[in-house]
Amino acid sequence: MYIIVIGGGRVGRGLALELQALPDHEVVVIERADGRTKELRDELGEMVVRGDGTEVALLESVGTGRCDLLIAVTNNDGHNLIACQVAKHHFNVPRTIARVDDPLNERLFRLLGVDETISAARAVMAQIEATLPEHTVVPLLPLHGSGLQIVDLHVQPDSPACGKAIHELELPQPSLISLIVRPDGTPQIPTGDTVLQPGDEIIAVTPEDAEPQLRALIATPDTQELETGAEDDAR
Amino acid sequence: MNIVIMGCGRVGSATASRVAGAGHSVTVLDTDPYSFRRLPTGFEGQQLVGDGTRHRFLEDAGIREAQAFLALTQGDNRNILASQIAQHIYRVPAVVTRVYDPYRAEIFGKLGLRTFSPTNAGTEMAWAALFGASASDGVSTAGT
Repeated sequence: MYIIVIGGGRVGRGLALELQALPDHEVVVIERADGRTKELRDELGEMVVRGDGTEVALLESVGTGRCDLLIAVTNNDGHNLIACQVAKHHFNVPRTIARVDDPLNERLFRLLGVDETISAARAVMAQIEATLPEHTVVPLLPLHGSGLQIVDLHVQPDSPACGKAIHELELPQPSLISLIVRPDGTPQIPTGDTVLQPGDEIIAVTPEDAEPQLRALIATPDTQELETGAEDDAR
Repeated sequence: MNIVIMGCGRVGSATASRVAGAGHSVTVLDTDPYSFRRLPTGFEGQQLVGDGTRHRFLEDAGIREAQAFLALTQGDNRNILASQIAQHIYRVPAVVTRVYDPYRAEIFGKLGLRTFSPTNAGTEMAWAALFGASASDGVSTAGT
Protein backbone atom coordinates (compact mmCIF):
# COMPACT_ATOMS: atom_id res chain seq x y z
CA MET A 1 0.00 0.00 0.00
CA TYR A 2 1.22 3.49 -0.82
CA ILE A 3 0.48 5.98 1.95
CA ILE A 4 1.07 9.73 1.88
CA VAL A 5 1.20 11.63 5.15
CA ILE A 6 0.72 15.40 4.98
CA GLY A 7 2.36 17.23 7.87
CA GLY A 8 5.53 16.24 9.71
CA GLY A 9 4.69 17.55 13.16
CA ARG A 10 4.57 15.30 16.21
CA VAL A 11 1.56 13.40 14.89
CA GLY A 12 2.96 13.03 11.36
CA ARG A 13 6.35 11.92 12.61
CA GLY A 14 4.88 9.34 14.98
CA LEU A 15 2.60 8.06 12.27
CA ALA A 16 5.47 7.79 9.79
CA LEU A 17 7.54 5.80 12.28
CA GLU A 18 4.70 3.36 12.86
CA LEU A 19 3.85 2.98 9.19
CA GLN A 20 7.48 2.61 8.20
CA ALA A 21 7.76 -0.42 10.46
CA LEU A 22 4.97 -2.22 8.62
CA PRO A 23 5.97 -4.54 5.80
CA ASP A 24 4.82 -3.91 2.21
CA HIS A 25 4.03 -0.27 2.82
CA GLU A 26 5.52 2.66 0.99
CA VAL A 27 5.27 5.87 2.96
CA VAL A 28 5.98 9.47 2.05
CA VAL A 29 5.78 12.37 4.51
CA ILE A 30 5.27 15.86 3.17
CA GLU A 31 6.43 18.70 5.38
CA ARG A 32 6.22 22.38 4.58
CA ALA A 33 8.96 23.82 6.83
CA ASP A 34 12.56 23.54 5.70
CA GLY A 35 14.13 23.09 9.14
CA ARG A 36 11.64 20.50 10.22
CA THR A 37 12.12 18.60 6.96
CA LYS A 38 15.87 18.33 7.65
CA GLU A 39 15.22 17.05 11.17
CA LEU A 40 12.81 14.45 9.88
CA ARG A 41 15.17 13.38 7.09
CA ASP A 42 17.88 12.64 9.64
CA GLU A 43 15.50 10.27 11.33
CA LEU A 44 13.34 8.90 8.54
CA GLY A 45 15.49 9.29 5.45
CA GLU A 46 14.42 9.90 1.88
CA MET A 47 10.74 9.32 2.54
CA VAL A 48 10.45 12.92 3.76
CA VAL A 49 9.66 15.45 1.04
CA ARG A 50 9.62 19.17 1.52
CA GLY A 51 6.65 21.00 0.09
CA ASP A 52 3.05 22.11 0.28
CA GLY A 53 0.82 19.06 0.50
CA THR A 54 -2.17 20.95 -0.82
CA GLU A 55 -0.44 21.88 -4.06
CA VAL A 56 -1.27 19.86 -7.16
CA ALA A 57 2.24 19.99 -8.63
CA LEU A 58 3.85 18.72 -5.43
CA LEU A 59 1.28 15.96 -5.01
CA GLU A 60 1.81 15.03 -8.65
CA SER A 61 5.57 14.81 -8.12
CA VAL A 62 5.22 12.27 -5.30
CA GLY A 63 2.89 10.10 -7.39
CA THR A 64 -0.38 10.79 -5.63
CA GLY A 65 -2.20 9.23 -8.58
CA ARG A 66 -1.15 5.76 -7.40
CA CYS A 67 -1.62 6.52 -3.71
CA ASP A 68 -3.96 4.21 -1.77
CA LEU A 69 -4.36 6.33 1.33
CA LEU A 70 -3.70 9.97 2.13
CA ILE A 71 -3.56 11.06 5.76
CA ALA A 72 -3.52 14.81 6.49
CA VAL A 73 -2.34 15.60 10.00
CA THR A 74 -1.12 19.19 9.99
CA ASN A 75 -2.41 21.40 12.79
CA ASN A 76 -4.44 23.43 10.31
CA ASP A 77 -7.96 22.37 9.38
CA GLY A 78 -7.84 24.23 6.08
CA HIS A 79 -4.67 22.47 4.92
CA ASN A 80 -5.96 19.07 5.99
CA LEU A 81 -9.33 19.46 4.30
CA ILE A 82 -7.93 20.83 1.06
CA ALA A 83 -5.19 18.17 0.87
CA CYS A 84 -7.86 15.47 1.18
CA GLN A 85 -10.19 17.11 -1.33
CA VAL A 86 -7.44 17.59 -3.89
CA ALA A 87 -6.31 13.99 -3.35
CA LYS A 88 -9.84 12.68 -3.69
CA HIS A 89 -11.17 14.78 -6.54
CA HIS A 90 -8.08 15.44 -8.62
CA PHE A 91 -6.05 12.28 -8.03
CA ASN A 92 -8.88 9.85 -7.23
CA VAL A 93 -7.20 8.64 -4.05
CA PRO A 94 -9.57 5.96 -2.73
CA ARG A 95 -9.25 6.77 0.95
CA THR A 96 -8.50 9.97 2.87
CA ILE A 97 -8.15 10.62 6.58
CA ALA A 98 -7.97 14.10 8.11
CA ARG A 99 -7.12 15.40 11.51
CA VAL A 100 -9.64 18.02 12.63
CA ASP A 101 -8.72 20.70 15.12
CA ASP A 102 -12.07 22.45 15.46
CA PRO A 103 -14.73 19.83 16.31
CA LEU A 104 -17.27 22.02 14.50
CA ASN A 105 -15.49 21.19 11.25
CA GLU A 106 -15.99 17.44 11.51
CA ARG A 107 -19.39 17.57 9.87
CA LEU A 108 -18.09 19.69 7.00
CA PHE A 109 -15.18 17.33 6.37
CA ARG A 110 -17.51 14.32 6.17
CA LEU A 111 -19.95 16.25 4.00
CA LEU A 112 -17.13 17.06 1.58
CA GLY A 113 -16.03 13.47 1.21
CA VAL A 114 -13.20 13.00 3.72
CA ASP A 115 -13.54 9.33 4.63
CA GLU A 116 -12.36 9.52 8.21
CA THR A 117 -11.89 12.40 10.63
CA ILE A 118 -9.73 12.32 13.73
CA SER A 119 -10.52 14.94 16.32
CA ALA A 120 -7.99 15.39 19.09
CA ALA A 121 -10.45 17.51 21.04
CA ARG A 122 -13.06 14.79 20.87
CA ALA A 123 -10.58 12.10 21.89
CA VAL A 124 -9.43 14.16 24.85
CA MET A 125 -13.02 14.81 25.89
CA ALA A 126 -13.85 11.11 25.67
CA GLN A 127 -10.84 10.23 27.82
CA ILE A 128 -11.71 12.78 30.45
CA GLU A 129 -15.32 11.65 30.38
CA ALA A 130 -14.12 8.09 30.98
CA THR A 131 -12.40 9.08 34.20
CA LEU A 132 -15.43 10.88 35.63
CA PRO A 133 -17.39 8.80 38.15
CA GLU A 134 -20.71 9.74 36.58
CA HIS A 135 -19.61 8.84 33.07
CA THR A 136 -21.90 6.49 31.29
CA VAL A 137 -21.24 5.38 27.76
CA VAL A 138 -17.95 6.43 26.19
CA PRO A 139 -17.70 6.04 22.41
CA LEU A 140 -14.26 4.69 21.60
CA LEU A 141 -14.21 4.13 17.85
CA PRO A 142 -16.70 4.41 15.01
CA LEU A 143 -16.53 1.39 12.70
CA HIS A 144 -16.17 2.74 9.24
CA GLY A 145 -19.34 2.76 7.17
CA SER A 146 -21.24 0.21 9.23
CA GLY A 147 -23.16 2.56 11.51
CA LEU A 148 -21.65 0.68 14.43
CA GLN A 149 -19.24 1.86 17.08
CA ILE A 150 -17.17 0.43 19.88
CA VAL A 151 -18.18 1.78 23.29
CA ASP A 152 -16.91 1.51 26.82
CA LEU A 153 -19.28 1.42 29.79
CA HIS A 154 -19.43 0.33 33.41
CA VAL A 155 -22.14 -1.81 34.96
CA GLN A 156 -23.91 0.32 37.56
CA PRO A 157 -24.90 -1.51 40.76
CA ASP A 158 -28.63 -0.86 40.47
CA SER A 159 -28.99 -0.98 36.71
CA PRO A 160 -31.54 -3.30 35.09
CA ALA A 161 -28.71 -5.39 33.62
CA CYS A 162 -26.78 -5.87 36.85
CA GLY A 163 -26.93 -9.47 38.11
CA LYS A 164 -28.37 -10.71 34.82
CA ALA A 165 -26.86 -13.10 32.33
CA ILE A 166 -26.05 -11.57 28.94
CA HIS A 167 -28.61 -13.72 27.10
CA GLU A 168 -31.32 -12.25 29.33
CA LEU A 169 -30.56 -8.69 28.27
CA GLU A 170 -32.59 -6.92 25.63
CA LEU A 171 -29.66 -5.27 23.90
CA PRO A 172 -30.22 -2.88 21.00
CA GLN A 173 -29.72 -4.86 17.79
CA PRO A 174 -27.19 -5.56 16.41
CA SER A 175 -24.98 -5.48 19.49
CA LEU A 176 -22.16 -7.59 20.78
CA ILE A 177 -20.60 -7.48 24.22
CA SER A 178 -17.05 -8.28 23.21
CA LEU A 179 -15.08 -8.00 26.41
CA ILE A 180 -15.70 -7.73 30.11
CA VAL A 181 -13.08 -6.54 32.57
CA ARG A 182 -14.00 -7.62 36.07
CA PRO A 183 -13.50 -5.16 38.97
CA ASP A 184 -10.34 -7.06 39.96
CA GLY A 185 -8.89 -6.38 36.51
CA THR A 186 -9.43 -9.81 34.93
CA PRO A 187 -10.42 -9.56 31.28
CA GLN A 188 -12.95 -12.09 30.07
CA ILE A 189 -14.56 -12.95 26.76
CA PRO A 190 -18.18 -13.32 27.80
CA THR A 191 -20.68 -15.99 26.76
CA GLY A 192 -24.47 -15.73 26.92
CA ASP A 193 -24.35 -17.18 30.43
CA THR A 194 -21.89 -14.63 31.80
CA VAL A 195 -23.57 -12.71 34.63
CA LEU A 196 -22.89 -8.97 34.78
CA GLN A 197 -21.59 -7.77 38.11
CA PRO A 198 -21.49 -4.28 39.54
CA GLY A 199 -18.36 -2.46 38.45
CA ASP A 200 -17.73 -4.64 35.40
CA GLU A 201 -16.25 -2.69 32.52
CA ILE A 202 -17.77 -3.61 29.19
CA ILE A 203 -16.40 -3.10 25.72
CA ALA A 204 -19.24 -3.54 23.24
CA VAL A 205 -20.01 -3.08 19.57
CA THR A 206 -23.36 -1.33 19.15
CA PRO A 207 -25.29 0.83 16.68
CA GLU A 208 -24.15 4.46 16.83
CA ASP A 209 -27.62 5.64 17.86
CA ALA A 210 -28.08 3.03 20.62
CA GLU A 211 -26.29 4.99 23.34
CA PRO A 212 -29.46 6.01 25.23
CA GLN A 213 -30.77 2.40 25.33
CA LEU A 214 -27.43 1.06 26.54
CA ARG A 215 -27.16 3.77 29.15
CA ALA A 216 -30.63 2.98 30.47
CA LEU A 217 -29.99 -0.75 30.52
CA ILE A 218 -26.48 -0.99 31.91
CA ALA A 219 -25.07 2.30 33.04
CA THR A 220 -27.96 3.87 34.98
CA PRO A 221 -29.41 2.84 38.32
CA ASP A 222 -32.94 1.57 37.80
CA THR A 223 -34.76 4.67 39.02
CA GLN A 224 -37.99 3.65 37.38
CA GLU A 225 -38.31 0.76 39.74
CA LEU A 226 -37.61 3.03 42.68
CA GLU A 227 -40.26 5.46 41.52
CA THR A 228 -42.77 2.67 41.09
CA GLY A 229 -41.92 1.56 44.60
CA ALA A 230 -42.57 5.05 45.90
CA GLU A 231 -45.96 5.06 44.20
CA ASP A 232 -46.83 1.75 45.76
CA ASP A 233 -45.95 3.17 49.16
CA ALA A 234 -48.18 6.16 48.56
CA ARG A 235 -51.16 3.98 47.83
CA MET B 1 -28.00 42.36 -0.02
CA ASN B 2 -26.13 41.30 3.14
CA ILE B 3 -22.51 40.58 2.29
CA VAL B 4 -19.73 39.19 4.46
CA ILE B 5 -16.15 39.74 3.29
CA MET B 6 -13.27 37.84 4.83
CA GLY B 7 -9.91 39.57 4.51
CA CYS B 8 -9.37 43.32 4.54
CA GLY B 9 -6.31 43.53 2.35
CA ARG B 10 -6.11 45.69 -0.75
CA VAL B 11 -8.68 43.70 -2.67
CA GLY B 12 -10.91 43.02 0.34
CA SER B 13 -11.04 46.64 1.47
CA ALA B 14 -11.62 48.00 -2.04
CA THR B 15 -14.37 45.44 -2.69
CA ALA B 16 -15.97 46.21 0.68
CA SER B 17 -16.03 49.93 0.07
CA ARG B 18 -17.38 49.42 -3.43
CA VAL B 19 -20.29 47.16 -2.43
CA ALA B 20 -21.05 49.41 0.57
CA GLY B 21 -21.10 52.37 -1.81
CA ALA B 22 -23.57 50.50 -3.98
CA GLY B 23 -25.95 50.36 -1.03
CA HIS B 24 -25.32 46.84 0.24
CA SER B 25 -24.91 45.95 3.87
CA VAL B 26 -21.32 44.79 4.39
CA THR B 27 -19.37 43.21 7.24
CA VAL B 28 -15.61 42.87 6.84
CA LEU B 29 -13.75 40.26 8.87
CA ASP B 30 -10.02 40.27 9.44
CA THR B 31 -7.77 38.71 12.07
CA ASP B 32 -5.65 41.87 12.22
CA PRO B 33 -7.41 45.06 13.34
CA TYR B 34 -4.65 47.14 11.73
CA SER B 35 -5.84 46.03 8.30
CA PHE B 36 -9.04 48.06 8.68
CA ARG B 37 -6.95 51.19 8.07
CA ARG B 38 -7.33 50.41 4.38
CA LEU B 39 -11.05 51.11 4.50
CA PRO B 40 -11.93 54.64 3.36
CA THR B 41 -13.06 57.20 5.91
CA GLY B 42 -16.82 57.21 6.11
CA PHE B 43 -17.02 53.48 5.29
CA GLU B 44 -20.60 52.49 6.00
CA GLY B 45 -20.08 48.81 6.71
CA GLN B 46 -19.21 46.84 9.84
CA GLN B 47 -15.68 45.85 10.82
CA LEU B 48 -15.08 42.77 12.90
CA VAL B 49 -11.82 41.30 14.21
CA GLY B 50 -11.92 37.53 13.86
CA ASP B 51 -10.95 34.43 11.95
CA GLY B 52 -13.39 33.68 9.16
CA THR B 53 -12.56 29.99 9.21
CA ARG B 54 -14.14 29.74 12.66
CA HIS B 55 -17.89 29.26 12.82
CA ARG B 56 -18.43 31.66 15.69
CA PHE B 57 -16.79 34.60 13.97
CA LEU B 58 -18.76 33.92 10.82
CA GLU B 59 -21.92 33.92 12.91
CA ASP B 60 -20.89 37.16 14.62
CA ALA B 61 -20.41 38.64 11.15
CA GLY B 62 -23.98 37.70 10.27
CA ILE B 63 -23.32 34.74 8.00
CA ARG B 64 -26.78 33.32 8.73
CA GLU B 65 -28.46 36.34 7.15
CA ALA B 66 -25.89 36.79 4.37
CA GLN B 67 -26.74 36.42 0.70
CA ALA B 68 -23.11 36.54 -0.32
CA PHE B 69 -19.71 35.61 1.13
CA LEU B 70 -16.38 36.61 -0.35
CA ALA B 71 -13.10 35.03 0.82
CA LEU B 72 -10.29 37.41 -0.08
CA THR B 73 -7.41 36.69 2.32
CA GLN B 74 -3.87 35.86 1.14
CA GLY B 75 -4.28 32.20 2.01
CA ASP B 76 -5.78 29.89 -0.61
CA ASN B 77 -6.61 27.15 1.86
CA ARG B 78 -8.07 29.56 4.39
CA ASN B 79 -10.25 31.03 1.67
CA ILE B 80 -11.37 27.62 0.46
CA LEU B 81 -12.13 26.34 3.97
CA ALA B 82 -14.13 29.43 4.96
CA SER B 83 -16.00 29.41 1.64
CA GLN B 84 -16.98 25.79 2.03
CA ILE B 85 -18.21 26.44 5.58
CA ALA B 86 -20.29 29.36 4.25
CA GLN B 87 -21.65 27.29 1.39
CA HIS B 88 -22.29 23.93 3.01
CA ILE B 89 -22.95 24.74 6.67
CA TYR B 90 -24.62 28.16 6.40
CA ARG B 91 -26.08 27.74 2.91
CA VAL B 92 -25.00 31.17 1.70
CA PRO B 93 -26.31 31.40 -1.89
CA ALA B 94 -23.34 33.21 -3.48
CA VAL B 95 -19.81 32.32 -2.40
CA VAL B 96 -16.79 33.87 -4.12
CA THR B 97 -13.30 32.59 -3.41
CA ARG B 98 -9.93 34.00 -4.36
CA VAL B 99 -7.47 31.19 -5.05
CA TYR B 100 -3.98 32.16 -6.20
CA ASP B 101 -3.08 28.64 -7.27
CA PRO B 102 -4.75 28.10 -10.67
CA TYR B 103 -4.96 24.34 -10.13
CA ARG B 104 -6.83 24.66 -6.88
CA ALA B 105 -8.99 27.41 -8.40
CA GLU B 106 -10.03 24.97 -11.09
CA ILE B 107 -10.58 21.99 -8.79
CA PHE B 108 -12.70 23.92 -6.32
CA GLY B 109 -14.52 25.68 -9.12
CA LYS B 110 -15.63 22.26 -10.27
CA LEU B 111 -16.64 21.44 -6.70
CA GLY B 112 -19.08 24.34 -6.67
CA LEU B 113 -17.26 27.47 -5.48
CA ARG B 114 -17.09 30.59 -7.61
CA THR B 115 -13.32 30.78 -7.67
CA PHE B 116 -11.08 33.23 -9.44
CA SER B 117 -7.33 33.15 -9.75
CA PRO B 118 -5.38 36.42 -9.68
CA THR B 119 -2.44 34.40 -11.04
CA ASN B 120 -4.27 33.59 -14.25
CA ALA B 121 -5.69 37.09 -14.52
CA GLY B 122 -2.27 38.63 -13.82
CA THR B 123 -0.55 36.46 -16.41
CA GLU B 124 -3.02 37.48 -19.07
CA MET B 125 -2.69 41.15 -18.18
CA ALA B 126 1.10 40.97 -18.25
CA TRP B 127 0.93 39.34 -21.67
CA ALA B 128 -1.52 41.92 -22.95
CA ALA B 129 0.56 44.78 -21.56
CA LEU B 130 3.65 43.43 -23.27
CA PHE B 131 2.26 42.53 -26.67
CA GLY B 132 -0.87 44.66 -26.71
CA ALA B 133 -2.60 41.71 -28.30
CA SER B 134 -5.69 39.83 -27.28
CA ALA B 135 -4.73 38.28 -23.98
CA SER B 136 -5.87 34.82 -24.92
CA ASP B 137 -3.49 34.47 -27.88
CA GLY B 138 -1.00 31.82 -27.00
CA VAL B 139 -1.01 32.46 -23.29
CA SER B 140 -0.21 29.33 -21.46
CA THR B 141 -1.66 29.40 -18.01
CA ALA B 142 -1.50 26.44 -15.69
CA GLY B 143 -4.72 24.80 -14.79
CA THR B 144 -6.81 26.04 -17.68
